Order: sequence, then structure tokens, then C-alpha cells
Amino acid sequence: MSRRLIIGPFNRVEGDLELRLDIAEGAVASAEVSSPLYRGFEQMLLGRPALDGLALVPRICGICSVSQSLAAVAALRAVDGIAAAPNGVIAANLVHAAENVADHLTHFYLFFMPDFARASYAARPWHDEIAARFKAMQGSALAQMLPARARLLQIMGLIAGKWPHSLAFQPGGTTRAIDLGDRVQLLAIIADLRVFLETTLLGDTLDNVLALDSADALNAWRQGRSSDFARFLAIADDLKLDQLGRIALPLLSSGGYQALDAPLFAAGVFDPASASARAFDPSLITEDVARAWMRDTALVPASAETLPDADKSAGYSWCKAPRLDGQPAEVGALARQAVDGQPLIRDLLQRAGPSVATRVIARLIETARLAITMQHWAMQLDLRQPFLDHTPRCLTGSGVGFAEAARGTLGHFIELGDGRIRRYQIIAPTTWNFSPRDRLGQAGPLEQALVGTVVGDDGAQSVAVQHIVRSFDPCMVCAAH
Amino acid sequence: MGAATETFYEVIRRQGITRRSFIKFCSLTATSLGLGSMGASQIAQALESKPRVPVIWMHGLECTCCSESFIRSAHPLVKDVVLSMISLDYDDTLMAAAGHQAEAILEETRKKHKGQYVLAVEGNPPLNEDGMFCIDGGRPFVEKLKEMAEDAMAVVAWGSCASWGCVQAAKPNPTQATPIDKVIRNKPVIKVPGCPPIAEVMTGVITYIITFGKLPELDRQGRPKMFYSQRIHDKCYRRPHFDAGQFVEQWDDDAARKGFCLYKMGCKGPTTYNACSTVRWNGGVSFPIQSGHGCIGCSEDGFWDKGSFYERLTTIQQFGIEANADKIGATVAGAVGVAIAAHAAVTTVRNLSRRKEVPDSNGGDKSNGKSA
Repeated sequence: MSRRLIIGPFNRVEGDLELRLDIAEGAVASAEVSSPLYRGFEQMLLGRPALDGLALVPRICGICSVSQSLAAVAALRAVDGIAAAPNGVIAANLVHAAENVADHLTHFYLFFMPDFARASYAARPWHDEIAARFKAMQGSALAQMLPARARLLQIMGLIAGKWPHSLAFQPGGTTRAIDLGDRVQLLAIIADLRVFLETTLLGDTLDNVLALDSADALNAWRQGRSSDFARFLAIADDLKLDQLGRIALPLLSSGGYQALDAPLFAAGVFDPASASARAFDPSLITEDVARAWMRDTALVPASAETLPDADKSAGYSWCKAPRLDGQPAEVGALARQAVDGQPLIRDLLQRAGPSVATRVIARLIETARLAITMQHWAMQLDLRQPFLDHTPRCLTGSGVGFAEAARGTLGHFIELGDGRIRRYQIIAPTTWNFSPRDRLGQAGPLEQALVGTVVGDDGAQSVAVQHIVRSFDPCMVCAAH
Repeated sequence: MGAATETFYEVIRRQGITRRSFIKFCSLTATSLGLGSMGASQIAQALESKPRVPVIWMHGLECTCCSESFIRSAHPLVKDVVLSMISLDYDDTLMAAAGHQAEAILEETRKKHKGQYVLAVEGNPPLNEDGMFCIDGGRPFVEKLKEMAEDAMAVVAWGSCASWGCVQAAKPNPTQATPIDKVIRNKPVIKVPGCPPIAEVMTGVITYIITFGKLPELDRQGRPKMFYSQRIHDKCYRRPHFDAGQFVEQWDDDAARKGFCLYKMGCKGPTTYNACSTVRWNGGVSFPIQSGHGCIGCSEDGFWDKGSFYERLTTIQQFGIEANADKIGATVAGAVGVAIAAHAAVTTVRNLSRRKEVPDSNGGDKSNGKSA
């Protein structure tokens, strides 16, 4: 028996999302992921003064605006090859890390965990405790997490003035010099973040959590512990979340947080099937529009255009299909930590591959790593040195800039002439993860991850489908922009 | 779903919020609304005795920055309290229910609270291609919006998208993104512009409506006067430097480190009506001008298409204003910019001439840098 199921709209997802699932024998046989929202930023940017992009692109997304700003800034830097002031790079890293940590916390507490408070899990021994703690907009965890998150985001205020949609990021660095008083405040905010992570989220010191280097160590660690991470791990074991949403596509990271010499998290491609890593070559990126509501265009983003075609009968999404060397790729915290060789994540991948569980664990491990690094960065700022490099920029030519948003690799491909924007192409993390099929019929990562999921009689109410979708932490407004 | 007769106070007590916190919330809100101490007891009384006003929060074509701002409001209780008001009804991004179940809640709320609920809209409807650029639940968002607005008491247009169109309406406006009041003509639409609006402004506006069951006083453009009656420039902490003719010429130059005025870097503070320089952002920590970057005027209609955010004014060398004005062209923004440039120049010239009149006066007490 085969039937078709349409699931959408999804809430607790950034933007709009619709799934079409073909169900056979109670399991997903095939999935189509549709992004039903399009605004046309790539068209709007054309012809505008080069630097005006810096005020427009953050507005692609209200939750990862700093990533958009930093990818744009990186592309502008690439155009003329002039580096930024080191202080500006570190200050931007601090803001970027704060945004990404805030996103990871939002994902865990507001978007992901509330699904376990659903009535369909009422029979599970953990249900009452989890419902009391995580029920959407009512759970006790919110009263702890929201203030902690708001406190963390004061970093945005200190360095970037306002968030979302900050303006302080320029090709030469950041517009505001941090003084001694600001640094003290930064350190105090990061210390508060650390307290929240150690007492509420993890229930142990960051160092102890980061010392866990294998699935066995993690399992031993969680026993008898009553932190939110441990609660999740118990549920993950009970529901076998490491078997849910499994795929084995290449994991791509463009390198997270530009440091002065090498990025904090290495760039590269990790193949979970063969457990091998290789270098990331941006020239291998293509974007296919065979099944997108877009007019045909060049495959290579550096010479492609984005023009909508709402009547295209083969189309089923506003999202294009990015491919790396012809293959779909998964991006996100899991990819970053896998490429960087984080021991626990590598071990988990070895056992079960990318799954709902490993994606969530990777986010929390990354959060712990970032909190520690943020402290180092705040100390590293040399307050007597400039935060912005004033070398004149020619603003003519083309360039590619990457930033690792919370959800994964974000690329801006630009071409400038006479100080104006001639071409602008954006590939966002969710464009990768929620890509539609391409001309070869290859399904995108989420489409593949959904196949085989047992929905039984639940149909559109299937909570397994919800877990898989949310394990990617989708940002639909970025995906199609 | 809470019963229609339940008061807001009952709702929050049920959720474990203490009486003390409730009173604090009332006085904080009264202060932010400029109501004073009487206002606090008014709010408290209203929330204790009147049935709660249901709020439905919908998302159109947008980036969710308004929600992001909202859940970060400074007083932790404000968002808890306001979230709990909203939680009982409908919010795309935060609510628990999913898919068609959520749609059913929406429909139920609409029927049950006909003519009583507030419809808060984040984002706007794109009208090109029959609304195809924003499909929500299998049909164009614009249809859902019209339907929900039909039975609403009033519509709150969150942010610059809903109020004016914002960047997604930037030329060539590929999707024909259209502000709410151009689509909803038969209901009061209260505009809370800003990209995003300040969290405390959002909570303040919605609390006012929920408390008093009516809209706050609006200006001619439909914005609440309490938050949008002053320009950023009027209350900017860098204003004395503007008056003294002390300007930043380059990001992070010496003048920037001294906190001089950013007007020459393209700051739109003098033409922007918003509360950024008083309420500030991210828990009152800062606002764009404090980060050393000028205001881009994100709460003003058309800010996205008024010419460059940077070049127009950064190219002004010393006071060669007129020459640059020609390059700008005759856009409205350009014209306003020139007027301000002239204002700045006059102020500075006056100061300089005063200094000449009082050469090397050690205290400078006769010249306070103010001009008429």
C-alpha cells in the first residue's frame, strides 16, 4: 500500500517548509523537500554600491545575520586580497561565536527538545520530567535558557551595536574599537555563559565534557547525571536516535572562525563512509536548478544568475541544489567537528554515521569548545592596535567568501565592477541540507535522511519525521533567500 | 486553550510567576510606556480583572528577526509574561503543535475570539505570481492573512517588512512584497517599524493593547507615538560632537575612538524616528551608533532604496557639501541629507566663528557649542 503525505507548514522552524512523502508499508519510500518562500536578494543586490551589500545581506536572515555579514565581508576581502586588522577579525569572531552559540541553544531548547514533550511519548518513563522541562513556551528550562541567551547576546551590543542585522562588520575589520572596560564586560558575559553551560546544559565542567573521547566514555558520563544534555542522551538511547535520519554523504566545512593563521575549526571534507578527510576545493561547488523554480543558468555560482520561474513544471522548491564535485553534501556543526577531528564526534560517526543523535551532540560539543575559545579571543585583543585596516580597496573583480553559520557552510560569490555589484550568488547552509533533487535525480541530504523512516499509522503526525527535520536545524529563509 | 474568561493574571499565576514579579512587570511596562506610577496600578488592575486579549502571531515573507528580537527583551519576565499571553493561541515559530494541528488551532482561535483578538504579523505578503513566493500551508500567505484579519480587532505590523516592505521590497522587488496596510484596508493597522524593532518597544506596544484593549496613540504614519516621536539624532549621546562639528572621517580613526559624530560616515540618525538612542539594544547595552557605525534608518519607509548607505555622505570632504549634493541627485533622502549637512555646516561654522570671537578663551565658557 502506497500513499502520499504532505507535511507542512512546520512551526518551530525558521521560515516555511513543506515535505511531500511517499509512504509504502508504513515507511517513507521517497521524500521531496520544498522551500515555499522566496524573496530575491540576488536580484535586489545587482547594481547597488559594493558596500551596500553589507546592509542588505544580513537581512536575509534574522537568526544568522552575522554569518551573512561575515561571508559578504570575506568575499569583499577576497576581491582585492587585502586582509583585515587582526583585532577586527577577533572581534568579529567573538560576535559570530556568540550568534552561533545562541543559535545552538535556541535549537536545543526551543526547537528540538519540545518534540519529546508530545503526548505521543506519554508512555515513556522520562515523559513527565521532559514535558515539565521542555514543553514549548511553558517548560521550566525556558526560564533559565532565555535569560542566559539574552545575556550572551549582550556581546552583540558591545561589539556590533545591535543584533540581528548588525552593521559593524567591514572589509577592513570592525567599526568599533574595544576598550579595557568593554573587555572586562566581555569576559564577564562569557563567564556567565560558561556558568549556564556547566550548571544547566552540561552538568559538568567544559573541560570534563570535552575530555570525553568515545561513545563509551559519553555513555558512562551521562549515567546518573541530571543535566539537559544528559536528559537528551537518555532519550536518544531509549528512542535509538542514532539510528534515525541516517545518511552517509560527505560532510563539508569551509573552516569555522578565521583566526590569524588557520581557522579555529579546520576546513575540509570528511567522508563518513570511509572515515577519510580531504581538502575543500571551492571550485568544485555547483548549483543545479533542474528541480527548482528557477530559470536555467550556469552551474558554477561565479557565473550563475538567480531568476525565478514560478511556472516551471519540473520545479518543486525555491531552493537550488548545491553539489560538491557533483554530490550532495551535509553541512553543520557535525560536519565542522568531524572535519576538525573532534575525537568524540569521530567515534560516534564511526559507529552510526551522521544521525539525529550525532547532529545534536555535535552542536553541544561545539558550544562547549566555543565558550572556551571565546575567553581566549577576548584576552587576545590588543587594545592599542587598530580594529580596522584603512588600506584603500579597489572594489573591482570577483571573490568568494565563506563563513560557517551555526547551520553550516555559507558562501557568497560576488563580482564587482566600478564599485558596484555585478553579480551576487549566495549558497546558504540549508540550501545544502534541504536541497531538492538535481538533474541526475540525486536527492538532497534531508530527502535522503527521511527515506526509510517508519511513520506507521501516524502519518503527518509522525514525530520521527519532526526529529529528523529539526536535527538539521533548518533555516528556510536562508535556504532560498 | 485557556477559557475565554480567564484573566491574564490567572494565566501567569498558573504558570508559576510570582505576584512580586507580576507587579515588577507592571511598573516596568508602565515606565516604558511613559505612564508613570498610576499607570502601573492601572496595568495591574486591568490584567487582574479583564479577560485576556488573545494574540495570534503570523509570519509572512520575512527573516524572523522580529521574533528573534522579541524573545530577547531585557527584563526576563517581560518576554516570559508576553510569551505566555501568546502561547495560548498561535505562533508559527515557537508553538508546540505542528502542521495541520497548528492550522486547526488557528481556525479555532479565529472563530472563538471573533472580533476580539489581535493579529500580529511579522513579514509581509508577496503579491507577484498570485502569491506563489510565500506559500503557507499549501496556499498563498496573502489569503491566510486576509482571512485572519477579517475577524481581528486590530492588526499589529511587526517590523519594517510588515510596515513598509523593507529590503525584500528593494528594487526591483522581485516578489512584489507589499506592506500590510496596503492589503488590509478595513482594520486598524499599527506599525511597529524597525529591522527588527527593539524588543522593549514590541513588548511595550503589545502589553498596552492587551492591557487597555485599545491601540496606543498613533502618529500620521500609524506608528505608536510613545516610541516613534523622536529622531535618533535628538537623543543621541554623540549629539554634542555633532553640534561641536567633531566628526569621524574613517572607521576606527582617532575621532572614532573619541566617539565623535558619525554623520559624515552616512549616519541617518537625523532623519530616523525610533527609540534606539534611548531604549537601546540587547538589554540596553548599545545601539548601532554606539558600535561606531552610523544609523541606516531601518525604521524609516524606503530606507533600502534611498541611495548608498555609506558613499553618499562619506565622500563629503570637509564642507564641500554642494558639490556632492549634485552627485546624489534629487532623491528625497538626498535632499534631507543636504539639509542636515547644511545644518551641520552652519553649526560648525558658527562654533568656529565664535571661537574666533573669543580667541583661546581658557574655559570656553561663553561658547557652549549650541546653535539655534
